[in-house]
Amino acid sequence: MILDLHTHSEASEDSRAPVETYLKWLQRKRAEVPIDGLVLTEHRQWNPDIDYRALEDQYGCLILRGAEVETDYGHVLVYGVNDDITRRFDFTNVRLSARELIPAVSEMGGLALPCHPGRPTIGLCEHYETKGPIDGVVAVEALNGGSRRGENERVQAIIDRYGYKSFGGSDSHLVSFIGICATEFDRDIRSIDDLVHELRHGSYRPIDFRANLARKAS
Amino acid sequence: MPLSFDKKIIGNEFDHTVFKPVTAAQIREYAEAVGETNPRYTTASDAELVGPPTFVVALRGKHFMPSNMPNLGRNGFDAGKDIDFGAPVRVGDVLTASSTVHDIYEKTGRTGSMVFLVLRSVITNQHGESVATIDQKMMFR
Repeated sequence: MILDLHTHSEASEDSRAPVETYLKWLQRKRAEVPIDGLVLTEHRQWNPDIDYRALEDQYGCLILRGAEVETDYGHVLVYGVNDDITRRFDFTNVRLSARELIPAVSEMGGLALPCHPGRPTIGLCEHYETKGPIDGVVAVEALNGGSRRGENERVQAIIDRYGYKSFGGSDSHLVSFIGICATEFDRDIRSIDDLVHELRHGSYRPIDFRANLARKAS
Repeated sequence: MPLSFDKKIIGNEFDHTVFKPVTAAQIREYAEAVGETNPRYTTASDAELVGPPTFVVALRGKHFMPSNMPNLGRNGFDAGKDIDFGAPVRVGDVLTASSTVHDIYEKTGRTGSMVFLVLRSVITNQHGESVATIDQKMMFR
């Protein structure tokens, strides 16, 4: 099963992509971007009232939700967001403590995973060099569709050193970027609880569809 | 330093301007300035003439910012506009702009932290119809 674990819709202030337009695009690009679902990880927010089940049924695409929050070790994707987590952490705070957030989210049933770790200022690697590692990191986003040259390559060193699992996401803010990078899981995922379980315990790997799209375009 | 300001500033109207009736000359001058060639914006009769959608961006209220604006940083620049368009602007329309601080938020990026200010102007016409909602973003650091 293939999921794009890092996406933004128009609910994020820097994206103009409607969720339904993502789904229409994926229908058209099924051959090049064969993903089974996506996880919306809007910036610095969590809205418990959004329900995408009608769109899931209409387009046959799994839609899960998380959040991208900002910490003193860079940006972190939070999966399995619940009331306990949002009561304890203000997602609008751009100075959350990663040392506090990552283990606490796990204790409260979710999972917090650093994204685009190779990015300057907002990626884990730079902070590891100056402040040392954090306990409780399970996996890092080794493949990010929005990274510049060299940023994804920088991540391999901390994966090798600390034994982290690796996943991929498009970090899509525009419709045509959805699914360009994703994560292939060995087991099926049907819910956010399944996702948290598989990310913590399962087998998965990043997968890159950009070459498919480039071939089709040429 | 964490962003700190009195959140009561959000949503309060800081400008309310009723503009003079829109003239055909204003519309044609704006259309010429932005390079419009569509006849409905340029050569149509006064009764048929409408303003190009971005005509509303040229409207200037009495106050660009609230007088009690918090200090968000030393350097600020235009970070773009989002505009929801409504009824077209026609000759003789009396437009009203109501402006509020819609949002102030902080985010972090490759180059560090930054603060965004969103000023929202709601433009209505003499019939009470929504003409446009303009969200003007400014970035400070």
